[in-house]
Amino acid sequence: MKLQSKFNLGIIVIFVVLAIGIGALSIWYVNTNTIREAKNRVQIYMRAAWEIHDSRIRKTEAALEVLARAESVEELLQEAEGERQLVVMREKLERIRQEQEADVLNVLAPDGTVVLRTRYPYNEGDNLASDPIVQQVIAEEQNSSGDIIFSQERLDTAGEGLLERVLAIGQEPRGMFAGAAVPVVRDNEVIGILEMGSLLNGGVEEVDRIRGAVFANETYEGKPVGTATIFMDDLRISTNVLDNQGRRAVGTRVSREVAEQVLERGEPWTGRAYVVDTWYLSQYDPIRNPNGDIIGMLYVGELEEKYLDLRRRAVAMFLSVVLGGMVIAFLTFYFLTRGVIKPVRKLSTATQKLSSGELGYRVDVQRKDELGDLASSFNTMAERLETQRREIEQNQRRLKNLNEELRTTNRNYMEMLGFVSHELKNPLSSAMMSLHTVKDGYLGDLTDAQEKSLASVAQSLEYFEDMVKNYLDLSRLEKGELEVHKEEISLYSQVVEPVLESLTQSLEDKGMEVANKVPEDFQVYADSNLLRVVYDNLLSNAVKYGEEGGRIELDGRRDGDNVTLSVFNEGKGIPPEKMPKLFQKFSRLDSPEHAKKKGTGLGLYICREIVEEHGGKIWADSKAGEWVRFSFTLPSQSRRSNNA
Amino acid sequence: MPEKKGRIVVVDDDVQLVESVTTLLESVGYEVFSAHRAEKGFDLAKEKQPDLILLDVMFAGPPGPDGIEISRRIRKDPELKDIPVVMLSGVKKVLELGYDMTPDESFMPVEAFIDKPVKPEKLLTTIDEVLESRA
Repeated sequence: MKLQSKFNLGIIVIFVVLAIGIGALSIWYVNTNTIREAKNRVQIYMRAAWEIHDSRIRKTEAALEVLARAESVEELLQEAEGERQLVVMREKLERIRQEQEADVLNVLAPDGTVVLRTRYPYNEGDNLASDPIVQQVIAEEQNSSGDIIFSQERLDTAGEGLLERVLAIGQEPRGMFAGAAVPVVRDNEVIGILEMGSLLNGGVEEVDRIRGAVFANETYEGKPVGTATIFMDDLRISTNVLDNQGRRAVGTRVSREVAEQVLERGEPWTGRAYVVDTWYLSQYDPIRNPNGDIIGMLYVGELEEKYLDLRRRAVAMFLSVVLGGMVIAFLTFYFLTRGVIKPVRKLSTATQKLSSGELGYRVDVQRKDELGDLASSFNTMAERLETQRREIEQNQRRLKNLNEELRTTNRNYMEMLGFVSHELKNPLSSAMMSLHTVKDGYLGDLTDAQEKSLASVAQSLEYFEDMVKNYLDLSRLEKGELEVHKEEISLYSQVVEPVLESLTQSLEDKGMEVANKVPEDFQVYADSNLLRVVYDNLLSNAVKYGEEGGRIELDGRRDGDNVTLSVFNEGKGIPPEKMPKLFQKFSRLDSPEHAKKKGTGLGLYICREIVEEHGGKIWADSKAGEWVRFSFTLPSQSRRSNNA
Repeated sequence: MPEKKGRIVVVDDDVQLVESVTTLLESVGYEVFSAHRAEKGFDLAKEKQPDLILLDVMFAGPPGPDGIEISRRIRKDPELKDIPVVMLSGVKKVLELGYDMTPDESFMPVEAFIDKPVKPEKLLTTIDEVLESRA
């Protein structure tokens, strides 16, 4: 996988993991906090709702206190029963009741008997001592207030319209009443009780006031953000929760779960409540009467949707910020890595080109950082390599030229040598001819001294002749003219015989005999000219260094793929320490006997070159002081040798 | 002066050699004539009708027939065909020139070979032998 893809994949994986993690974490966090926040908020709303509920009652109580001090009230209560100015008082009190916007305003005797009702049909004479509020006033001679349940009977008695109002909401012929009662005290004596309050059933004022105060009548997408409800038991009796027709949902009931927790266990319930058709963040508190009995519930709810949406938007915004950040980070990362990878790729390409031999390639990376350094190092290196190669090529060319020159020089030299040697032959011949003519007495007798002198000249000339022959052979050797033209030849007639013939005189002079053990029809696969040179050298040596009167033996036999030929002569032989250098150029044995004889030291070298060109080997065996045998092999035709 | 032992024609482009050969042969009693070019040698032989021809193999200078060629011509010439030819060259040299030694029709009709440098002993002996065998 390419580098860039690796990077991209890595960073994407990291981001995805991060995104999921952060996303999950943030959603959880937001949720938890929102819920807690909601709960807190709702509790605050609830406190406010209670405050409003209680303030209304307190206002009633305060009004009653003022009224309780009125003289007219006092008079009313202290007059005898039959003489009471009921009608006048009734009118007055009814007016006050209406000003107070209360449903009920009763004057009671200290025992709870109703003295005066201010609501048509103005019933009187019944006893309200069982009314928890009244009960408390009687018991403690103190103000009392709160919420209580009016039974059907009480509703009936309390005045017109109340029962109807209750029944209009639900089948329950009971009502919830919020009010206060204060004792009328004269001279530390309770002479009566004033009671005032309102029926909550079907009312809207309180719940609307709650909504107004707590929620400022805010709406969200057409729905009111806040709602409040007063429950009598589990029945909605006053609410601004709207049903799906948009009417107040009075008469509906609360859920089982809430009823159980709040009404039966007396614990407030906080949470998400599905009220009618919407979710509200809600709290239900129990409403207790002064005796402590749970008679209903107070409910406030906040439209969840608003906060849901808010929350969703918050999460969305948060996530989009995170995502946006990641995208930016990714892009940055991508461009950064690309910025690195591009030069790296360039360098990689350049290195490939370099290793494939394109030394002229340079990297174009203009940067001031490590990659730039790398690139310029690379270029420098390539430059140097190129220069080196050029130098090497130059040197090679120079070398080749030098070689050529050398070869040419050598060739020239050799040619000259060959030419000179060749040219020397003729004058040499004539000189020797003339010398022998005189020396051998053909032109007259010689004195001893003359003969000796000429003999020495003759020897010098012989030596000269040897040298010329050897240098001629050498030049041909070195010129590479030693092209071996092998063919099947008769060893004796084509090679040995001619050579022996040319040595006849020398053999005779030394009294040496040649024993030829080579069969006459013995065939070898070789170049006859070159082979003759070999025999010439070997036999000349045998004559020159052999014992006077000694024997020379020629032998030859077939040996599988080779033939082995040898030249043996009796004589001083070759000491073992001289053996290794025997066949080298210009090597001569420096024994006194050998030193006396003139020689070029080339003979054996030439022999070896020729034999090896044929693919054979040459060596010498010797018993120092007795004999020496030179042997060499030649491969047969079947084994073609490589003339390197 | 003793009687001439015979007449010899020497053909060789080496002037020094011809001179010294002439000296030697004359010293033992031969009559010697010489030429330095192969063709000239041929003409000389026809003219002098010698008892023996000494012939070199290679002639330097302007191109022309070599010794082998001349000896063949001699063999073919009715006047000269019986005159023995001795080559002033080793077999080696002859072979080097590419002539092979197997006897056949093109075999060069040469009685003997005398390698250079010429040894007087050898020269005289060979000439004696050849003339004797022809006698």
